[in-house]
Amino acid sequence: MQQKIQSLQRPLGTWLSVLLLLIVVIAPFYWIFTSSIKSPQEIIARTPTLFPQSFTLEHYDHLLASSAFPTYLVNSTIVAGLTMVITVTLATMAAYGLYRLHFPGRDLLFKVILVTYAFPGILLLIPLYDMLTRLGLVDTLWALVIVNVTFAAPFAVWMLQAFFRSVPHELEEAAALDGAGRLRVMLRIVLPLTAPGIASIAIYAFITSWTEYMFASILIVSDANRTLPVGLAGIIGQYQVDWGLLLAGATLTTLPVLLLFSLVGQHFVEGLTAGAVK
Amino acid sequence: MGADLSRLKSRWRLKDRSRSSYRSREALLGYVLVAPLILWLAGTILYPLFSAIRISFLDVGIIGTGGEFVGLENYGRILSSSRFWPALGRSLVWVVSNAVLQTLAAFATALILKQRFRGRRIARVWVILSWIVPTVVVVIIWRWLLGTSGGIVNYALVTLGITQEPIGFFSTGSSAFASIVFINSWRWFPLMAVIILAGMQSIPEEFYEAAAVDGASPLQRFWYITLPGLQPVLFVLGLVGTLWSFNVFDIIWLLTKGGPASATTTVPVFIYDMAFQRYRLSRAAAASVIVGLILLAFALLFIRFFSPPSEGEEQ
Repeated sequence: MQQKIQSLQRPLGTWLSVLLLLIVVIAPFYWIFTSSIKSPQEIIARTPTLFPQSFTLEHYDHLLASSAFPTYLVNSTIVAGLTMVITVTLATMAAYGLYRLHFPGRDLLFKVILVTYAFPGILLLIPLYDMLTRLGLVDTLWALVIVNVTFAAPFAVWMLQAFFRSVPHELEEAAALDGAGRLRVMLRIVLPLTAPGIASIAIYAFITSWTEYMFASILIVSDANRTLPVGLAGIIGQYQVDWGLLLAGATLTTLPVLLLFSLVGQHFVEGLTAGAVK
Repeated sequence: MGADLSRLKSRWRLKDRSRSSYRSREALLGYVLVAPLILWLAGTILYPLFSAIRISFLDVGIIGTGGEFVGLENYGRILSSSRFWPALGRSLVWVVSNAVLQTLAAFATALILKQRFRGRRIARVWVILSWIVPTVVVVIIWRWLLGTSGGIVNYALVTLGITQEPIGFFSTGSSAFASIVFINSWRWFPLMAVIILAGMQSIPEEFYEAAAVDGASPLQRFWYITLPGLQPVLFVLGLVGTLWSFNVFDIIWLLTKGGPASATTTVPVFIYDMAFQRYRLSRAAAASVIVGLILLAFALLFIRFFSPPSEGEEQ
């Protein structure tokens, strides 16, 4: 009898703990998603409603039709897209060199890149602002791309470690014997096998760029060039916060990230964790 | 297949001469592949670092103005400033309290996710949700949840009779600080948890089986097997996590702007405010240099004292 209770208790404890975790992580998101489709009256009602009693898309309508949100969305997409392309190119090339080839000074270069991923960006705020001003790039999206690549690429190289190291060297050697040049081996054999890792760093670069606020807030001056984080922060800063608008904005800003993450989730987490464990 | 490969490999070793030219071409390719990233980082991290030092000796206010050499004046101003040291102190409290809260939450989460339950594969991936969404969304979420009118947390607290009046979470210094520590930890603990979980999974199951045979309690197993096994992971998290946590700016700025009455002005907020709200670029650069040196000293000490023994040195 007692054994029976114990065997029942264990899954119950497991389930309760998982449920608790789920609530801590997911509930806040549930709350903004559902609130963003409530009527303005229901949003500010004294008694919050767990399940929406009304359904309206007016906040989304307002956001997309009569606010600058679409502009911010386009800017953020351009910046994140370019950041992604450049980061993937630089990081994949470097990762191939660092993890698949042997050359003098390799370990030193690897360490240099490691140091840069932990480097606190706040220390670069002023000199990067100074440099980008001199280059005439302030108030252009390129300024943001340059900054975002700088902060995404070193960590991307780190994430690729697990994927590149898992390709057996024999495969490459065999291909080399068949007369395939290094470049061909890299493009035809190693890259396809590391594709999940490359997809993961592409999404990592996108996410890094999508969330960046500090540099965007000083490097961009005109409203037409603002990205989502700065644009949304502008709405928060207004005296009378329009919560419906803000919650709809937060929801739409989150969606692309969720979509991309759902494509690579498993590999993404693998890349994140493998570097620290090995 | 396996035999084929090993035959190929031995043939490969015989071809010594062609191999050495292959090696030198390999080295060349290596440099060519790594160079673009290294040059990029040299231009956007190394050069700016030197340029920060240069700016810190000038008297630049708004960018493009001033530029006279003033020697160590900015350093003197920062070191004798009544705002810099408190900011540094707050950063210390910020880093430590985040570390404590996140470590506790992350270990609990890792242990929860380590259990066998349906959907655990999905849970282990999606748990980092709060880390992948933009910080501005995190800020909107928590402003909405913690609001004094319509905020569900205050509604719950008042309804349950825990407080009489809604709490203004961001209205007093200490509650604002506690709130941002909580929100930032909420954002980061899942990432730490999945890293710790991966570390736990890399510990051989036999260790636990042997310990079970010897009659070790769960606490003993955690203390004598899990923790030592996690040492390399905890080292990386301790070093990188501290630097990342120190660097947090946007959550604080967007929630409190460093207030009320500077209660949440940590070093990054101080530097940003000094450079772009008070327009004292050079002084802010001097602060960056000082802080950079402090962080460097921290990193070196941390590596010196907590570096885990490498594989060969063990036992």
